[in-house]
Order: sequence, then structure tokens, then C-alpha cells
Amino acid sequence: MNLSHFEALVVFAVFVSMVFGLITKTTPREQFRYAVVVFCSFLGVAIVVGWLMFPLPW
Amino acid sequence: MMSHEYSPNPAPESAKKPVGLRQLNLGLALAISFSGFIIPGLGHILLGRWVRGAIIAVAIGLMFLIGISMQGELYNSDLSQTPLRLFGFFADIGVGLMYWLAEHSKLGTGNMSARTYDYGTTYLWVCGLLNYLANMDAFDIARGRKP
Repeated sequence: MNLSHFEALVVFAVFVSMVFGLITKTTPREQFRYAVVVFCSFLGVAIVVGWLMFPLPW
Repeated sequence: MMSHEYSPNPAPESAKKPVGLRQLNLGLALAISFSGFIIPGLGHILLGRWVRGAIIAVAIGLMFLIGISMQGELYNSDLSQTPLRLFGFFADIGVGLMYWLAEHSKLGTGNMSARTYDYGTTYLWVCGLLNYLANMDAFDIARGRKP
């Protein structure tokens, strides 16, 4: 399997946020909302940190 | 005149738990948690949490397969050269039976020249660590600490 960095990040975030949502919340609605928040956080933080590192020469 | 109601038999701690929480004994809870360590999701399935167990099994199983197919490396117990690999080994064995099957099938040897090597290795670590968390969740459910 030859995923790009971003694709690998998205797949990783999907699975981890699913499991985090399942084991930390009790009702299906809470689990879904928490999983969405965690997923968006993974992507958002990765994109922000990626842009912050962009001008660094090393 | 003050009136104190005296209860000679105060309610035990277990009676104060919310309705619907059942508490298994420690040995059974440990056994259920250990079964989830061997096969991800099995602990929840044994507790009757079919959907939760199935989702955990699929998520962890797919992460493991993707990690292997991305040419990630499964760390083994040979720590003679680099002792810090112990942490990676601890994370990898979290998937239980799948680790053993992959090791005996000569999978997970890792290809450092592959572009996806680092991601694949991270997938393999994280799916093992997620399974540890899932098993702790199954243990808490079995002991009646959470619904």
C-alpha cells in the first residue's frame, strides 16, 4: 500500500478517533461527537504544525 | 425534637451503583480483559457489547493490516543491540494473536527504504496501544465502573 502522507494521516485519524470515541463516552451520540472532534483535531493540528514548519530551513 | 432515622443495615457500596451496571468478580473481569488482549474486541463481545466490540476489532485489525501492507516493522524481543526497542515491542504485542501470526508468517519485517515505512511502523505501534486501552475499558465495564 502506497499512501501519501496526508492519506496516511487521514486513515490514522479515522481509526484512532473511532476507538477514542467508543471507549471514552457512553452514549452513541456522545461517542460520535467526540470522535468527530478528535478527528478534526488530528487534521487541524497536523495542518497547522505543517505550515508552521514550512519556513524552517532545517 | 430531632428525629434521626437509624438504619441498622446501611446499603452496601454496590447497591449505590446506577441500575444496569453489573459487577463481575475480579478474576472473571481479568479473564475477559485478557481475552480482548488476545483477540481485539473479544472482551467487549463477551460482555454483550457487540457493536462496540465489532468496531474495535475492525478498527484495530484494519490498522494492523494497513501497517503491515505499508511495510512497517514489527519489533521483536531481541533487545541486545538497541534496548529502547523494548517500548516498540511492548506497543506491538498489544494486538495479541495478530502479532504472533504475523511474526510466524515472516510479515512485519519492515523495509526502511519504503516511503511508508515510518507510517506503517507507527500504525503497528498505535493499534497495539489502542488495544491496551480497549481492554482497560472492557475491564472497567466488567467491574461495573462504567456503563
